[in-house]
Amino acid sequence: MEEIKKILKTLCDCPTVSSSETTEFKKINELCAPYFDLIECDNVGNIILTKLSGKDDAKKLYIDAHFDVIGLMVNKIHKNGFLSVCNIGGVDARILPSSEVTIHGKKDIYGVVVSTPPHLKGDDKSVPKIDKILIDTGFKDDTVKDFVSIGDLITVKGEYMETQNGYIVSSYLDNRSCGAACIHALMNTERKDLEYDVYLAISACEETGKMLSRTALFNIEPDIVITTDVNFAREPDIEKRHSIECRKGPSVDISTLTDRDLSRSIIRLAKENGIPCQVVVEPMGTGTNNDALAITGKGARYAVLSLPLKSMHTTCESVNLEDVLSLSKLLSLIAKTKESQL
Amino acid sequence: MNELFDLLKKLSLEFGPTGYHKPVYNAIKEELKDYSHKFESYTDKAGAYIVRFANEDKPKLMVSAHMDEVGFMVTEICDNGRLRFGNVGGIDPIVMSSKRVISENGIKGAIISKPIHLQSAEERKAVTKPSDMYIDIGCDTKEDAEKYVMLGDLFTFISDYTEFGDGFIKGKALDDRIGCAIMCHTIKEICRNDLELNYDLYFAFTTREEIGYSGAFLAAEQIQPEYGFIIESTAVGDIHGAPSEKRVSTLGNGGTVSFADRGTIYDRSFTNHIMDVCKKNEIKYQIKQYVSGGNDSSCIQKSAYGTKVAVMSCPSRYIHSASNVVHRDDIESIYRVLMCLINTGYRM
Repeated sequence: MEEIKKILKTLCDCPTVSSSETTEFKKINELCAPYFDLIECDNVGNIILTKLSGKDDAKKLYIDAHFDVIGLMVNKIHKNGFLSVCNIGGVDARILPSSEVTIHGKKDIYGVVVSTPPHLKGDDKSVPKIDKILIDTGFKDDTVKDFVSIGDLITVKGEYMETQNGYIVSSYLDNRSCGAACIHALMNTERKDLEYDVYLAISACEETGKMLSRTALFNIEPDIVITTDVNFAREPDIEKRHSIECRKGPSVDISTLTDRDLSRSIIRLAKENGIPCQVVVEPMGTGTNNDALAITGKGARYAVLSLPLKSMHTTCESVNLEDVLSLSKLLSLIAKTKESQL
Repeated sequence: MNELFDLLKKLSLEFGPTGYHKPVYNAIKEELKDYSHKFESYTDKAGAYIVRFANEDKPKLMVSAHMDEVGFMVTEICDNGRLRFGNVGGIDPIVMSSKRVISENGIKGAIISKPIHLQSAEERKAVTKPSDMYIDIGCDTKEDAEKYVMLGDLFTFISDYTEFGDGFIKGKALDDRIGCAIMCHTIKEICRNDLELNYDLYFAFTTREEIGYSGAFLAAEQIQPEYGFIIESTAVGDIHGAPSEKRVSTLGNGGTVSFADRGTIYDRSFTNHIMDVCKKNEIKYQIKQYVSGGNDSSCIQKSAYGTKVAVMSCPSRYIHSASNVVHRDDIESIYRVLMCLINTGYRM
């Protein structure tokens, strides 16, 4: 458990807003180099980690975990040191006021999201729209321009924190939790046990709907494609059919865009090996990178594995470590199972 | 001056919502321990800590700051392990969503609400009602949660102390640990330098300011001061786009004196005196330009035989949130005003 926790913390400590994924290439390389044959970036910011089985005629397994996180971008720099911003991905404005941010300018600049005092709000008690959100950089004038430019990306802070029962809280668990499971799985699977040449794509721009993972897949032409992403954890105000339960393992999507046999084989594999796993049914598509990968290149057999995540797209996203570990075990198992048995 | 800010950092990080300020109280006492032979002190029945430099033939001045901060109290432990809570003090619901909190026993949690993907168009526009928020401490059943918390447990925001920009500071509970830190540091300076004081001088570290039923009342009724000088934080509208008449005061332009707020019409001659002290000593100060807020002055003014009160507040952005923002210069100014005030011994 300590090993996967360490990987997860490392990933949560280096958030990258969509389009800046490769800025943390060094960290990924440091973390993963001893366990992979090749780690490289492609033209659009995907990081691909390759682990070869050494077997002749090995089939190709492609595992996707998007590496980008939602965030903000500097839109305007005001004379008094305040910034206006726009969103990158589905940012919930309700959680922004009084949140802390890091502006990734010439150097990292700290800021606080303005919470308008009640006497200035008057009767307007609604949530401010993103274009009305301001960031306080603590500069009294536009000297902030020495460090910050229009277009700089901003992460909303939400540092890694442990609560009770193995729950982890962080701003970046979507999708660093799956990323940690994938890396951990392949670190702990020996080459001789691999039935596939495995390509782990730490992929770019999922949160903005650009799903650049396609280009990595196009190049690799895999036989099996597993997309890993988070899904809504069940809460009283979330419908059952939209959610999965924490501490019951990863879910397997049954969908029209995934391979039925592959999905059911994975469920069987989990059961046979005592790995908790649940099913979520998504008739019209999975809402993950899978749906873009399903129309890429020559096609493949697809499955989606998800981790239950509480409070998605907030600074208090929360995942249970047992679930992350179960996902890692399941991925490792898949990589060790012949395609004919899936 | 760094000592003052180190102390502010320490006190800011201490746990102390109204109702359980013991950690702040202990930290203050610990801080003053080495000097305690130089002053009288006692803890009153409401938990306020009072330090006195006796000077029987001089007028009594009570300098006051409150130890408590805003927070949350557990009102229900739900079947799914989530905690419902009530506010302790006035907190704008918009600064609660998705913030981390910690209990008096060190149990960490997060205030959570529905993901944006599943909100209706109406829900996206409206600030989540506190009654629809809950604290998640990582427990999935009531039975499990009860191992970590009980009804009535208090939580505060988790927020570190960060210096940023041109001399700005971000932290929790800066309202009113700034006052506590300034008083603490002043007491030390008096002791170290054996300053001659022109008041019968009391420092009151008070309780229960944030909920309005102030412990400063009781402290003042026992001290029965002639003058009261309250060191506080005041919410300002000093942000981009705010109309000038609603800015209240500006960060970095000095401590803020008020003639009136929603709780008090201040003693004009004592307030004028405070401003004279500033002018004579070339200390930056400003006058509050909006009638809003209130503080312990209202209690102290009408306590016992009545007290002539003046306030000096540190202008604060995003007060009562996890991220209070203040400016170093203002804290230094207020400290200097206090030091000059107790040394000049002006008598009306």
